[in-house]
Amino acid sequence: MKRYSGIFVVVLLACAAGGWMFFGCVPDEKAPSQDTMQDEEDYIVIGLSQIGSESDWRNANTGSFRSEFTAENGYYLLFEDAQQKQENQLKAVRDLILQEVDYIILDPIVETGWDTVLMEAKDAGIPVILVDRQIVVEDEDLYTCWVGSDFREEGRRAGQWLADYLESQGRREEQIRIVTLQGTLDSSAQIGRTMGFQDVLSAHGNWEMLERRSGEFTQAKGQEVMRDLLQSHKEIDVLISENDNMTFGAIEAIESAGRTCGPDGDIIVISFDAVRTAIQFMQEGKINADFECNPLLGPKVSKIIEELEAGERVEKIQYIEEQYFDTSMDLEKILEERTY
Amino acid sequence: MSKDRKTSTGSGILTKIVRNQCFIPLIALLLLVAFNLIADPGFFKITLADNSAGNPVLSGFLVTILDSGSELAILAIGMTLVTAASGGQDISVGAAVAIAGSVLLRVLCGSNSRPETLQAPIIVAFLVSCLVAMLFGAFNGVLVAYFNIQPMIATLILYTAGRSIAAWVNNNELPVISEPSFKYFGEFIPGIPIPTPFFIAVACMIVIGLVLKFTDLRLYTEAVGINQDSARLNGLDPKVVKVLSFVILGVCVAVVGLIKVSRISTINYSVIAKDIEMDAILAVALGGNALSGGKFNMAASIIGAYVIQFLTTTLYKFHVQSDALPAYKAVVVIILVVLSAPKVREWLAGLSKRSMKKEAV
Amino acid sequence: MKKKKFSLKDLTDTNLLLTITIVVFFLMYIGAILFQGGGFTKPQTFFNILNANAALIILSCGLSLVMITGGIDISVGGVTALISMCCAVYLDFHGGNVSTSLLMALGIGLAFGIFQGFLVAYLDIQPFIITLAGMFFARGLTTIVNTKPFNVANEAFTKLKLTRVIVPGMGAPNRRGVYVDAYVELGVVVAILVVIVMFCFLRWTKLGRSFYAVGGNHQSALMLGINVKRTRFISHVLCGLLAGIGGFVYFLHVGSGSAAHATGAEMDAIASSIIGGTMLTGGVGNIVGTFFGVLSLGTIQNIVSSAGLDEAWWSGITRAVMLCLFLVIQSVVMARKKKA
Repeated sequence: MKRYSGIFVVVLLACAAGGWMFFGCVPDEKAPSQDTMQDEEDYIVIGLSQIGSESDWRNANTGSFRSEFTAENGYYLLFEDAQQKQENQLKAVRDLILQEVDYIILDPIVETGWDTVLMEAKDAGIPVILVDRQIVVEDEDLYTCWVGSDFREEGRRAGQWLADYLESQGRREEQIRIVTLQGTLDSSAQIGRTMGFQDVLSAHGNWEMLERRSGEFTQAKGQEVMRDLLQSHKEIDVLISENDNMTFGAIEAIESAGRTCGPDGDIIVISFDAVRTAIQFMQEGKINADFECNPLLGPKVSKIIEELEAGERVEKIQYIEEQYFDTSMDLEKILEERTY
Repeated sequence: MSKDRKTSTGSGILTKIVRNQCFIPLIALLLLVAFNLIADPGFFKITLADNSAGNPVLSGFLVTILDSGSELAILAIGMTLVTAASGGQDISVGAAVAIAGSVLLRVLCGSNSRPETLQAPIIVAFLVSCLVAMLFGAFNGVLVAYFNIQPMIATLILYTAGRSIAAWVNNNELPVISEPSFKYFGEFIPGIPIPTPFFIAVACMIVIGLVLKFTDLRLYTEAVGINQDSARLNGLDPKVVKVLSFVILGVCVAVVGLIKVSRISTINYSVIAKDIEMDAILAVALGGNALSGGKFNMAASIIGAYVIQFLTTTLYKFHVQSDALPAYKAVVVIILVVLSAPKVREWLAGLSKRSMKKEAV
Repeated sequence: MKKKKFSLKDLTDTNLLLTITIVVFFLMYIGAILFQGGGFTKPQTFFNILNANAALIILSCGLSLVMITGGIDISVGGVTALISMCCAVYLDFHGGNVSTSLLMALGIGLAFGIFQGFLVAYLDIQPFIITLAGMFFARGLTTIVNTKPFNVANEAFTKLKLTRVIVPGMGAPNRRGVYVDAYVELGVVVAILVVIVMFCFLRWTKLGRSFYAVGGNHQSALMLGINVKRTRFISHVLCGLLAGIGGFVYFLHVGSGSAAHATGAEMDAIASSIIGGTMLTGGVGNIVGTFFGVLSLGTIQNIVSSAGLDEAWWSGITRAVMLCLFLVIQSVVMARKKKA
């Protein structure tokens, strides 16, 4: 019996020591975390509460912050992955406040429920910069500014592009049957893109929206829903897919149902986000047009922080520049410049 | 212990169950078919049309069932063995599929997540992922067999960590394979209108059928599952048999991983093969196999798998949200386990005997 | 080494496992303070862990009860999600009041507990399979009740949600140097009450002792004149009731309804119980250990995110490693017991 208890003490100590070495050493190697906390003159400490890593877009977005807020640029970045849960994000922001970071960058997963925590940040004197998605709060002063895409404009431009494209194809008067793969319902991107497209849709009497279904921004779901849509609607002229991941899934579904899409196919595919893979798909002639949702917010946010450091006032809402691509452009060249 | 009692109370009941094994899933299948015939005969329509690559392929709900059900059938093979040998189920198969798929992509892509050409032959990548899946299977098996941890709890570890490991294997990137031939495994081989996963499933069935016929695997597994102490007294090592069953499940997992990844040419760590463990366990249960281990019927499990997929597709057809599906399936499971509970069965048997007596009178 | 003089051989299995858990937790936390500093030096970090895990503590207590009798219940996470959604829908769409929603939460929890308990105890069905079905049923039902996640706007509820219990003397100055009181949410108070009540229940009541007897060896328990079936049934009912309380506390913490709520909570609860020294084979376990088990998991997550191991997968892997470690320790303890 005694020998066993000895083993236990050893196991216990080993595990504790392992834990110490493991958790203790890593920050020391990576960056002088405590020192940065104390010598705030040396580094600007940024806390980033990210939604998760569910899509290429999100990863490019995170990557943009990571490459911008480096030690060489005078920053130290604390990154918190919320894994798609608001509760985790609330806790992350509170932890960041306790760690006394200089700025908090928050990509809010939902629109509501942020008042209290933002108030705590404000009380602690930490400016909060919102990125990508927007929030609804009673007091707009709770956050410093918001940086992101104008989703409604994206949707509107997509609609406009479709109108122009149909015109050029001589199908202006034709009955056009459209289906939409929506993003996660009630997300800013879904609402903005749906509404923006709706603006154009209602101006065209011959466009008919057959069905809008949510593909939750994922490839698997996009494929599943598209397969369903193809089975329930025989005639589909246009597919609007509110992000690229769903589009990839939808193309799988279209192809395995024996249909074709793209400029030479029978379904016009319009997608959003314009990640690298999507441009490749465009080269293969499977997507007609893709409207960029620029994830590279890092430089813009870093510029805002510089302005704030200099004591300047910044604009409340800042849209990031965005473009679109279609098959008439020189995709080879675009692809070369595309980093994500 | 209750098992001993059951076998001793009467071989009559036992033979009846064995005779009925394929009967339960087939009845369920017939019910579903009848339901669909009444609700909308269009369910059974199959069309032949060219897909984008110019190949004639079949499409329709039945083809979908054949296609997606095959993944489930492959997993059901392994799950049946694990259930029979260990008297518990592996709840980490979904996570393990994610790992296998991730490893497969990692080997195919090398360091670049968007390769123009494959960095390794598909067969090599598959073998590597197979090996990894077998290792994880063995890990589960060792925990179960050597550390005497209940299978569900032992596999809980991998269930918790699996998807994280899968993301870690590829550095959380989402590799995309552009090579068209990689798609053959999850979709169609040019010129053949039937989805490939079905052929893969048939191949797996033939292999397992031959193994069960020509080796003592069935005997060993059942012996260990029924009473591992007496199995040991007869010179069998229950630990080895249990680990072996988990390793075989690992192979099945790798095959499903290949199909899943091939379908979309990429991977989504948190969604791939989500909740598939439930379906696989359900297939085994629907096949009438005792979830507490012992005797098993492979064919019944496989039919069970296709029946589950039939149910899923039917529910989809009626626009049941995919997130709401589990509720309906759960009701089916509860009814099944309650009906197959020894107590309920005894009670039912008593009931039917009484009614038979009445008729006789 | 002091531990050794205390003579490990006098320890029962329960106490041995409990000691290991508590020591590991303190070593981990002290390690975090020493090596990471930053937020860990502030008591509020610890209270934030409590706030975030209050519901999990209650759920884990329920699971410990069931596991002590040799059963298992994996439906608690699903039940929590279902309760959150039902309460949210009731409060926001039907203008309900908070106290009725609490009753509703308890009712849902009890209903699951009674149904599952009946099937497990009186029909001899494996608890794992029946509660697995229960989990999927609850999860599916949640989306049937309402698909979209949303935050509750009900005033009385938000007021209750924002109620904070100040912990005297534990505050710390924030970044601006303003002293901020340390606080816990109401849920933490409930959780601690549950821990105390359950501890007393298991320790000093006849029924509580019979839980151990049934889990240890149900045949000898039968000979002792304990109604084994009824005891197992009650353990499930209690677990259901605690799931009801935990579900409401969770709802109070997040203040929203969503089908994705409490994903993996059942696994976390089982892991916490195991880490807390509850034996899977039944008969061994301690609520205090469970409490520390939850805290250990919460602390690990905090350490992982503030150590710069930002990638989300680390928390999954570290939890699994910890679970694996404790399972192996248990298995060794079992072997020791058999030999002794």
